[in-house]
Amino acid sequence: MSTELTSPPIPITAEAPTIAELRNVSKSFTVGHGRELKVLDQIDLSIREGELLALLGQSGSGKSTLLRCLTGLTKPTTGRVLSYGEPLEGINPHASIVFQTFALFPWLTVEQNVMVGLEAKRMSRDEKAEAVEKAIDLIGLNNYHSAYPREISGGMRQRVGIARALVSEPKILCLDEAFSALDVLTAEGLREEVVGLWRGGNTLSSVFMVTHNIEEAVEMATRICILFPHPGRLGLILENHLPYPRNSNHPEFQRLMKVIHDTITQQALPDLPPEPPPTPGKPISRARARMESIPTVGVNQILGLISILHDSPDLDNIYDVSDEIGKDFGETIAIVKAGEILEFVNTPKDDVQLTDLGKRFFESDRQTRKTIFAEQVQKLRLFHIILSYLEVQEEVSAETVMHDIAAALPYENPEKILKTMVAWGRYAGLMDFNANTDMVVIPEEEEEEEEA
Amino acid sequence: MKSTAPQLAAPEGRRSFSFIDVLVFAGVLGVLWSILEFGKGMVTRFDASSQSLAISTDLSQIPYYAGRTLLRMWIAFGCSLLFTFSVGYAAAKSRIARAFILPFLDIMQSVPVLSFLTITITFFIGLFPGSLLGVECASIFAIFTGQVWNMVFGFYHSMVTIPQDLQEAATNFRLGPLTRFRKLEVPASMHSLIWNSMMSFGGGWFFVSASEAVSVLGKDIKLPGLGSYMATAVGKGDNWGAFWGVVAMLTVIIASDQLIWRPLLVWADRFKIELTESAYTPRSWFYNVLNRAYVFEWFGEHVLIPVAEFYQDLRLRLASRTTTERSRPAKIGPRIWQVVGMILLLALLVEVGFGAMSGFDAIYRHVSVNDIIEIVGLGFVTLGRVFAVTLLATLIWTPIGVWIGSKQRVATFAQPLAQIFASFPVNMVYPLFVGLFVRYQIDMNWGCILLIAMGTQWYILFNVIAGSMAIPNDLKEAAKTYGLRGWPIWKRLILPAIFPFWITGACTAAGGAWNATIVAEVANWGDRHLEATGLGAFIADVSQKADGTPLLICATATMAIFVVVINKLLWRRLYSYAEHRFHLD
Repeated sequence: MSTELTSPPIPITAEAPTIAELRNVSKSFTVGHGRELKVLDQIDLSIREGELLALLGQSGSGKSTLLRCLTGLTKPTTGRVLSYGEPLEGINPHASIVFQTFALFPWLTVEQNVMVGLEAKRMSRDEKAEAVEKAIDLIGLNNYHSAYPREISGGMRQRVGIARALVSEPKILCLDEAFSALDVLTAEGLREEVVGLWRGGNTLSSVFMVTHNIEEAVEMATRICILFPHPGRLGLILENHLPYPRNSNHPEFQRLMKVIHDTITQQALPDLPPEPPPTPGKPISRARARMESIPTVGVNQILGLISILHDSPDLDNIYDVSDEIGKDFGETIAIVKAGEILEFVNTPKDDVQLTDLGKRFFESDRQTRKTIFAEQVQKLRLFHIILSYLEVQEEVSAETVMHDIAAALPYENPEKILKTMVAWGRYAGLMDFNANTDMVVIPEEEEEEEEA
Repeated sequence: MKSTAPQLAAPEGRRSFSFIDVLVFAGVLGVLWSILEFGKGMVTRFDASSQSLAISTDLSQIPYYAGRTLLRMWIAFGCSLLFTFSVGYAAAKSRIARAFILPFLDIMQSVPVLSFLTITITFFIGLFPGSLLGVECASIFAIFTGQVWNMVFGFYHSMVTIPQDLQEAATNFRLGPLTRFRKLEVPASMHSLIWNSMMSFGGGWFFVSASEAVSVLGKDIKLPGLGSYMATAVGKGDNWGAFWGVVAMLTVIIASDQLIWRPLLVWADRFKIELTESAYTPRSWFYNVLNRAYVFEWFGEHVLIPVAEFYQDLRLRLASRTTTERSRPAKIGPRIWQVVGMILLLALLVEVGFGAMSGFDAIYRHVSVNDIIEIVGLGFVTLGRVFAVTLLATLIWTPIGVWIGSKQRVATFAQPLAQIFASFPVNMVYPLFVGLFVRYQIDMNWGCILLIAMGTQWYILFNVIAGSMAIPNDLKEAAKTYGLRGWPIWKRLILPAIFPFWITGACTAAGGAWNATIVAEVANWGDRHLEATGLGAFIADVSQKADGTPLLICATATMAIFVVVINKLLWRRLYSYAEHRFHLD
């Protein structure tokens, strides 16, 4: 351990008392047609006194659900939620939430909105006014007392959200993607203030934040948990003892970023031994191997990725690609993965390379591109669900297809998958979708071509 | 941190009372005095079997009659509001309650309001023997049934569409049920509640004027009010009296709009859920006047907030006591309420069951199969009329509405005007038109289509105006750029854009038309009695006969079934189609 590290306000050890805890928690939701969708799978997680814990995961990984289980907003399907070692009944009184969408009451002024945080407290009017004044002062909202939320900027709105959460002096402050609806500069400023508030002592002991932003987590948290998606389960857990304020150029900061990136990349884009190529001209049997899901990414984003990779050959690693296209890491991974399963790009480790097919695709004219895309799509087992229907009939209802998708990929959202499949299939000229009848159909021009 | 936006700083000096507060205070006193004064008239002695109240056509009596009519409207509205909050709340909160309430509302909404009047009037007269209050209650009940369903649906809908994040915030900060209702649920529904209330109240004028002068069970009963004043004046052939009656009615409607509903709409603007500033904000001169009064602020500060705080303190004290005294509170409370609820529900079901059985028995003994065939046949005739009215009003008012909506300045005054026309109880002037029918020998079977249209066409007009105003400017500009003109621009842009609005208007108009047939298919002009063939006329006829109740129930149920079936088969489908295909933004 290097000596330059200053110790956090309360020394964090594994023995630090636990404030809130999830024990073997699983959560399923009932989605269309009574099907169960498992969102969280056997989660064990505890929030200890004095720590700033970040839960990192892509959108749809179940991290917000986890936060709602912990605070008592939703009940887990199985498993236990504890608060100070006791089973939690109802809402956790020690935890306040700051919402991504601010969740301010539009008809209440800033002052009245902060006062909402004290509704469950037995205090006199003067005591409440004093507490509200203190919270407003703390978060820099002076002179905004009588403004309505719609009159103030996003950053100020989120300050109101934080003041409302802090006014009741909770033990845990829960941030549900609290900075992701703000612009970069505003978010950066607020992050520093939240760290300051947490380190400043007061009664606030711990912060539990849920985020998809890797840098945000490394910048703020003392402990980082990565939640893997479909269904959500805990992956890597990292301790981060860097002193505040943290410098993103610090080697340890860089190392942590790299470890997290690698973990997520390895999970999403595993370097598996290549499967034996399918026999040409022969459709792949649906039963032969595991059905692989597709990332819900639009065709234009895949085309854009290929174009960028082609134009700048020195772009070879996924972090640079992420910076170049201005998307966050999770989204970049999804786009790259889409390119990979279509065999347009290759991803050894965290590198991203255009394949020969990708190059040929980029240099082709529109008709050839369509043909290549169609060939690649036809190799995907998932598409055989639809294509095998369309071999024997003119059209197939979206409901039937979604039912089959749900059976094949139990942890995915069939509606989103179908939407993506239709988008890819349309570009490939393999299928079309009639929104009036909710049917996936054989495209008309395709028939004409075959007749011609 | 210093303020960067001085206009947002808290006001320095405290506001104080001014002469506006004196005016407001005087206004409140005046209203209270009027309620007492007009209220006295409601409980005078009256014996339905022997007596009949004489309605004077003296002009000096008009203010008094207007006051009586207004009082009836507001009492009915107050009941509607209470019913809306309790039933709408129950439907939104409890799955079991919802399973009963929503279908119930759906059916009640389809029952013609004036049948309620006839069916309930004997009950109410029996409830208050020897007093006018029974008849008053029947009239108020009729207005209530005309207003309430729409309000409950609106409130329920906005309760269940409160954004998830606000709900979660309220839960996370552990708001109690009443605080949640006061700070989240009512404010979130306020805008739709006030808008629906305004529409319902506007529709209520028709029922108040129709229910003031009724012939029930072979007797003519007249309640003092503007509706009965008009009926008497027309009956006597007093044209100037009738004219001033119309003027008084319009004045009362416009005053209600300007002094109550417009200010409320302006006030409700702050309760919109969106966090963006809206481009179009309603204005009201009277709101600006009231806004300068300090008395409301004072009242909130010194009465409402202390009361709320006292309640909150009480709740928290009780909550802390139950958790400290019994660390594991046994869940007996809710169980007891469940049992009580079940028993009440069972009792209600038994009661309804017996009622239905005796009703069926009466119908079985008094109504033959031929009667039923006749009633259903008449239903189809009236259905044809309702369709004709909707179609004609659409053909006439769609182009006009689209034109008005495209001219911002015309629209801002034409739309409220259309609303006022929709509120005006045209049944008051039916007799004048019937006079024309008699003179020019127009067949009532066709003439009554005009009578029905007079009241209901306006709903189509102002919804089309609203739809036309909502067409985004960029779409209009795009259409202009590509030289779309004439039929193509109607087909590609205007008709699809106004279609969802037209459906709302046409559905309301058709619903109103069914109600209107009961007063529009029969009419008297002096001694001449004109009657069209139709279900409305049939209901009007049998409700005057002393032994007509079984037939009345049959005919009313038939009409309700017609309305429900048309709603399900036509309007709902069109509506979901429009939502699916033509939803802008």
